Amino acid sequence: MITFEGVTKRYPGGTVALDDVSLECPTGRITVFVGTSGGGKTTALRTINRMVDPTSGRVLIDGRDVRERRPAELRRGIGYVIQHAGLFPHRTVLDNIATVPYLVGWNKKKARERALELMERVGLEPAMAKRYPFQLSGGQQQRVGVARALAADPPIMLMDEPFSAVDPVVRAELQDEFLRLQDELHKTIVFVTHDIDEAIKLGDRIAVFRTGGRLVQIDSPEDLLARPADDFVAGFIGRDRGIRRLSFVPASSAPLTDRDVLPADTPVERVTAVGWILVVDAGRRPLGWVSADALPASGALGDARLAPVGPTFDAETDSVRAALDAAILSPSGRAVAVDGSGQVVGVADQHDLTAAIRPAAPLAKDGVSG
Amino acid sequence: MDIDWGWIGDHTDTLTEHALLHLRLALLPVLFGLLISLPLGVLCRRWGWLYPPALTIANVLYAIPSLALFMIFIQYTGLTPSTVMIPLTLYSLSVLVPNVVDGLASVSEPVRQAATAMGFGPLRRLMRVELPIAVPVVMAGTRVAAVSSVSLVAVGQLIGQGGLGEDIIRGYQLQFQTQIVAATVLIILLALVTDTILVTVQRLLTPWARARGASS
Repeated sequence: MITFEGVTKRYPGGTVALDDVSLECPTGRITVFVGTSGGGKTTALRTINRMVDPTSGRVLIDGRDVRERRPAELRRGIGYVIQHAGLFPHRTVLDNIATVPYLVGWNKKKARERALELMERVGLEPAMAKRYPFQLSGGQQQRVGVARALAADPPIMLMDEPFSAVDPVVRAELQDEFLRLQDELHKTIVFVTHDIDEAIKLGDRIAVFRTGGRLVQIDSPEDLLARPADDFVAGFIGRDRGIRRLSFVPASSAPLTDRDVLPADTPVERVTAVGWILVVDAGRRPLGWVSADALPASGALGDARLAPVGPTFDAETDSVRAALDAAILSPSGRAVAVDGSGQVVGVADQHDLTAAIRPAAPLAKDGVSG
Repeated sequence: MDIDWGWIGDHTDTLTEHALLHLRLALLPVLFGLLISLPLGVLCRRWGWLYPPALTIANVLYAIPSLALFMIFIQYTGLTPSTVMIPLTLYSLSVLVPNVVDGLASVSEPVRQAATAMGFGPLRRLMRVELPIAVPVVMAGTRVAAVSSVSLVAVGQLIGQGGLGEDIIRGYQLQFQTQIVAATVLIILLALVTDTILVTVQRLLTPWARARGASS
């Protein structure tokens, strides 16, 4: 656990980079510092490895003041990843990754073995070991940066906008792999970003900083979206936070109905439903939609002209946001829920879905409309 | 112009001896210049205020005619090689000091920060990260200093310490063109060979900079 106790950083000349910040970054979790530029989030990050020493207040790691420790020694136990990777241009990929193991005195063979192992972990071909940083793409450099930070297996990782300088596709890829890695490694991570979407995607806890180095709010992503502390936070999160909140509500909480789900061989005379009917095959796989008032006079349901099913959602694993998206894109305005094997579990319309989130989501102070 | 090839054939021993002496007189000053410039450049990077006066002094030294410097040092070191090598060392500073400073400045801020955050202390960071990255820029300056030093040494013959300069002056006194041409060509060759060796050394020292050229 990393603890900030009333941390203030004032520069000569009066600029306040951090203003009485107190917070906790729980062990094994990702805490994201987010905010406008000049909000002090990077300064806050750097007080942890003593690249910045506070003017007043304390930063503790597992209860121990970081200022009791020599900076160089402290830093070797804390991984650090920055925006442009900051790889050493004169060292090969392998030696870049082995930097901290060399510093703490591992022998060359062991350090290189460890570096190779990490290359695999972060998705780099072993053939790249002998290359120099400028021969890599931005995304690959960032992977080397992450591997280098992990090399001596530090319990803590500091990451300062590590994915900001790569294109959006690579960024999403790096974010996903980062989360996968964290699932295996359970590091205590402090992650700085100016991108609220990245914060919500990656953070277990999000600390919002505003200009003047003030911590405005620290909460889980769900609670941050549901209850922004003030207009600044609400504005920072952006307009569609109601929709984004739905990402945290499991679709399994939505009420499903299978009343209007009928097999293809149902004779049309026996159809009593009004409105849209989802036609399924014998294995309950969706075939398409048909409107009750567009049915032929006789024959089976499957003979009618069917509108395409549209996207489906997984009733077990998807969020209400995915379900709502499926409903909006469906010709019938209803989303088709399937199970893991693709069989239809039921359908839900947009109203059902939004009704489902009202009790599921905590009441928002400013009243999110349903 | 008639070249007396027979004379050259008869005097290869003396010419070789003069050439080796010439190299020694030219290159030792560059080495001493580097030994002064590296720490001085590091200090100039650390305390920015030091750089402008240091550079000004180096440039003023470079502006002093070599003859004047010989006359000054002759009072202390006499007609010895030192009297030639000390001015040459001082001259090399005007190229080497700015190159060391620029070389250190070529280390990008993220790299410096990453090194600090990985747990390099200031000295280790300098030796293992900053200076190695500065090598290509420092070597570029060293090449200029070495080549100009090779051609400057000849002037040292004014006090009897000029390497191949001796052959140029002797040739002039005897109105014997072959000796002048042979010495001049040898000086040019020495400069070229020195430069080639320095380029090779740099490539061996900085494979990462060579690869940069190859891949782009």
